[in-house]
Amino acid sequence: MWAYLVNLAVLISINAILAVTLNFVLGYAGIFSMAHAVFFGVGAYTAALVAMKLSGGFLLSTAAGMALAGLISLALALPALRVRGEYFVAASLGLQMLAMTVFSEWKVVTGGIGGITNIPPARLPGWTVASPEQYLVLCLVCLALVMLAVATLVRSSFGRSLKAIRDDETAASAFGKNVAVIKTLAVVVSSALAAVAGSLYAFYLSFVNVESFTLDTSVVLMAMVIIGGTATLVGPVVGTVLILLLPAALSYLPGLPQSEIGSIQQMVYGLAMVLLMIFRPGGIWGFRDNPKDDR
Amino acid sequence: MLFLQLLINGLQLGAIYALTAVGFALIFGSTKVFHVAHGAAFTIAGYLFWWSVSVQKWHWAAGLALAVAVVLAFGLAMERLVYRPIQRHEGAFFTVFIAAFGTQIIVQNLVGTVFGRGFETVTVGLSQAVEVAPNLFVAPIAGVALVVALVFFLGLNLFLTRTHVGTGLRALADNPDLVRVYGLEPTRLAQVAFALGSVLVVPAAALTAVTQGINPGLGAHIMLISLAATIVGGIGSLKGAAYGGMLLGLAESLAVWKLDPQWSEAVTFVILFAFIIFRPAGFLGRPHGAK
Repeated sequence: MWAYLVNLAVLISINAILAVTLNFVLGYAGIFSMAHAVFFGVGAYTAALVAMKLSGGFLLSTAAGMALAGLISLALALPALRVRGEYFVAASLGLQMLAMTVFSEWKVVTGGIGGITNIPPARLPGWTVASPEQYLVLCLVCLALVMLAVATLVRSSFGRSLKAIRDDETAASAFGKNVAVIKTLAVVVSSALAAVAGSLYAFYLSFVNVESFTLDTSVVLMAMVIIGGTATLVGPVVGTVLILLLPAALSYLPGLPQSEIGSIQQMVYGLAMVLLMIFRPGGIWGFRDNPKDDR
Repeated sequence: MLFLQLLINGLQLGAIYALTAVGFALIFGSTKVFHVAHGAAFTIAGYLFWWSVSVQKWHWAAGLALAVAVVLAFGLAMERLVYRPIQRHEGAFFTVFIAAFGTQIIVQNLVGTVFGRGFETVTVGLSQAVEVAPNLFVAPIAGVALVVALVFFLGLNLFLTRTHVGTGLRALADNPDLVRVYGLEPTRLAQVAFALGSVLVVPAAALTAVTQGINPGLGAHIMLISLAATIVGGIGSLKGAAYGGMLLGLAESLAVWKLDPQWSEAVTFVILFAFIIFRPAGFLGRPHGAK
């Protein structure tokens, strides 16, 4: 039971990092990325390869993953954000499809469907992370750092520019904000931070393959942010906890066939997304009233 | 010979993509609703057609009728119960998109739970390929796909240019406020757009079920194709969406000439990205990403 709880807590913290970073672009910048799992995956594969081929420690592996994820997101964001929001949805959805092919077909690097196995444990200066409990500590520290980074950015002038652009792009650019540059930066920061979660995931499981980085993952992450509450710091974490506890809660319900649990889980959060959008667009944690509602 | 074979397959696939993309573009252009649940409508239509023809052994026409009825109800219900309440108090791209996406997730899993997750195909006489030249196999269904697509586009074009409601729809795309000034009801026109756009997926889904088979995950693929074709063709242009769909279908099929089949989705992405970089307005769109 203890092992189960620790494992769940580790997965919740890793997913919370992803949800918080996705919320940074989705909630604060109003940019729809369907490719968040790609940057999660790039972080995981890069960390695994650096650790195995170059015997890099946790910090080096994570930094490499962040750099690569940042670069790839830059290549996506530069052209796609010059134009309307719909283009970014389509382009990121395309990237997600492409990445799934690359992860499963570029066998020399990613190991194909079988993935990469036997990733060594994470090494930090003076500390080799071995037991699940130690990983939990590492994950919680990383989550705290990522949340601190996001909170700081949101409060800075950069964060205010982002929110201004989200609320009215034309007005923001009239105030002299370079809309394209600010949005691109936001995407790069968010993707690089998502790679941290990838690195933690790879070291914790000591195994990565394409199944963790599919379109479904991107969709679940989006659901976590939306259900929890966009543009709040705590909302995405609440959403993550709710969605990850859902399978466990469902398995206690009598009469549900075990093979359909995954499907039912997805239907539940799909329905939650639709209903929340109709009745409470701010999400569970979002107390934000509709600013446009006061007519 | 392989090239010719792939070209024919590509035309057939392109016709299917064009039908779906035009439905999406029609809805998006006239109502500004980013209806990503269009992929869900496709999945519903495909599975109902398969269920009635292959499982229940109905006549294919009955299968089509059932699919049309249900998809029509789905499209209208989405407009009435989901998009309209959201647009009434917010109208943001964001909220509508999430709701549509949630619907897509529900439908995909519901279909998987009810009908199973395997690949299903509908076998009809027309899908039997004949060797018309050495190593060149053509099934009559390829011709049917092209003819069906052409007939639907001509019909849609006539409807949009010759009828009162069609003119109203085009006006709605240009300026909803002016439509109201002229005493037309934008919500009624929106219902027409959703009805037409949703019905257009039925031939596409049925043809897909016959030619390459369907599975519940197809909705996401169709969603990507519809978005990509709309952007490649130019947002706001139905003709552009049709060409875009045809282009993507041809490219996906011809890619197999030089690449492994797994990479065909990557080709779609490369084309989409090339258009976003070099010609964001698409080949028939209004200049540079006009709002």
